[in-house]
Amino acid sequence: MDKNQLPDLIINGVSGGAGGTYNNVNMDGVGKVVGPIVARMFKGNGHMNLNDDLAAEEAECNGVIKVMGNMRFGTLKVDGVLNVGKSFRGESCTLNGMVSVKGDCELEDFVGEGSFSVGGLLSAGHVDFKLQSQGKANEIGVESLVIRQVNNGFWSKMFSGIIPKLRPELCARTIEGDFIDVEYTTADIIRGNIVIIGPGCTLGRVEYREQITVHPEAKVGKVEKAL
Amino acid sequence: MEDDLISKKQLLDLTGISYGQLYRWKRKQLIPEEWFIRKSTFTGQETFFPKEMILSRIHNIVNMKDGLSLDEMADKLSDKASFEKVSLTAKEIIERNIVSTTTLRKFGESLGDESKYTFEELVHLFAVDRLLSAGEMSMEEAELLFRTLQEKVSRLESGSWELFFVRKMGVSSFILAQAPAELWFDEGVRLVSKMTYADLIEQLKGKLAYKLVE
Repeated sequence: MDKNQLPDLIINGVSGGAGGTYNNVNMDGVGKVVGPIVARMFKGNGHMNLNDDLAAEEAECNGVIKVMGNMRFGTLKVDGVLNVGKSFRGESCTLNGMVSVKGDCELEDFVGEGSFSVGGLLSAGHVDFKLQSQGKANEIGVESLVIRQVNNGFWSKMFSGIIPKLRPELCARTIEGDFIDVEYTTADIIRGNIVIIGPGCTLGRVEYREQITVHPEAKVGKVEKAL
Repeated sequence: MEDDLISKKQLLDLTGISYGQLYRWKRKQLIPEEWFIRKSTFTGQETFFPKEMILSRIHNIVNMKDGLSLDEMADKLSDKASFEKVSLTAKEIIERNIVSTTTLRKFGESLGDESKYTFEELVHLFAVDRLLSAGEMSMEEAELLFRTLQEKVSRLESGSWELFFVRKMGVSSFILAQAPAELWFDEGVRLVSKMTYADLIEQLKGKLAYKLVE
C-alpha cells in the first residue's frame, strides 16, 4: 500500500474519532478514540483516551495519554503521563514524566527522567533512568541498567516522607542483567555479571559472575558469586 | 515433569550465554513466551524452561547468528511455513545425518517419489529413526509406527500431536494423541517413550536451518 494514500486523523478541541490505519494522527485538546489505531506518526497533546491498541512508527505524547490496549512503536517521546493497559513494546523510548504499564514492557532503549511502573516484566536492552519518584517493576531483565536518583530539593524530600510513592527509589522483585548499576533500590534478588550497588539500596540477595562493588551505605543480605 | 525442565541459572551455565542475551532473544521473539515457566522454589520464584526444546533452540540461534541479523532469524524460526516448504533429497538426508541410512533405506522407498522428501515426511522418518537408534523399538514395531504416522497424523485436527509408545506383557502399541495430552496407564503398562511433535520439529529445524540460510 502506498503510504501517501493513507488519511490523516486530526482532532482539535474536544472531540472524538474512530480507529483505523492513518498516516498522521494529530490530536490536540481532549479527545477519545474508539478502536485500534495504526499510524505512521502519532502526536498527542492534551488529554487523550484511546480505548484500544496503538501502533505507530513514531509517537509523541505530551500531556495525559491513556491507551487501554497494547502499545507498539518505533520511537516514542513522552512528556507527561502515559498509561498503558496491556503490553508496551518498542525500539526506543525517551521519557520525561511518568509511564505506567499494566502488562509487560519490552524496549531496546529506555532513557529518561521521572518515574515508571511496570506490572509485568521490564525487558530492555539499555535502561538509563533518573528517578524523580518511585520506579516499579515486577521483574527486570536487561543488558545494561543504570539507575540514578535525581538530586531532589527540599519540598520533594518533605513530600516523599509523607507519601511513599513519591520517594525516588526503584522497587523490583528480581533484577537480572549483564551490567547492573543501581542506587536507591529495593529488590529481593539481583543477578548479574557486573553489579554495582550504590547508596540507599536494600537488597535480599546479590548473585554476580564477574565483578561486584557495594557501597558502604547499602544494605545487602547476602552476596554470592555464581560460577 | 521435573526432569524435563531446566532452571534459568542452569541454562546459562550450560550454554554460556548471559542474561542480557536471553532477554534480548525473548524480546526478538526467538524464544517463545510459553517456554518461560514460572514456578516457586525455596529461593523465591524462578523461571524454568522445557529442557530439550530450549537447548536445541539456543544451539540453533548461536549457530545461525553469524550469517543473519536477529530480526531475520526471528522471522525464519517463527515461520513454520518456511520449513514446511523445505524438501530434501535422500542424499542430503544421509549427508546431513538427519536420518540414519538403515531407516531411510527401509522406509524411504515406501514414500513413493524417492527423489524428494517433504518436511512432514521428514518428521515421521525422524521420529522413527530416533526410537530405533535409541534401541527402544524393534524393526517390526518401527514399521507399525511409521505406517501409523503416515496414515493417522493427517486426521488430527490441530497439527500438533504427541506419541506414546507403551508396552504391556511384551505387547507394544502406539498411541497418537492431540497435544497437549496427558495419559494415565494401569500398573502393568510401561511407557517406553514419549515424543511430541513440537519437540521433533525443534530438533529438525536445527538440522535444516542451513537450508534457509543458503
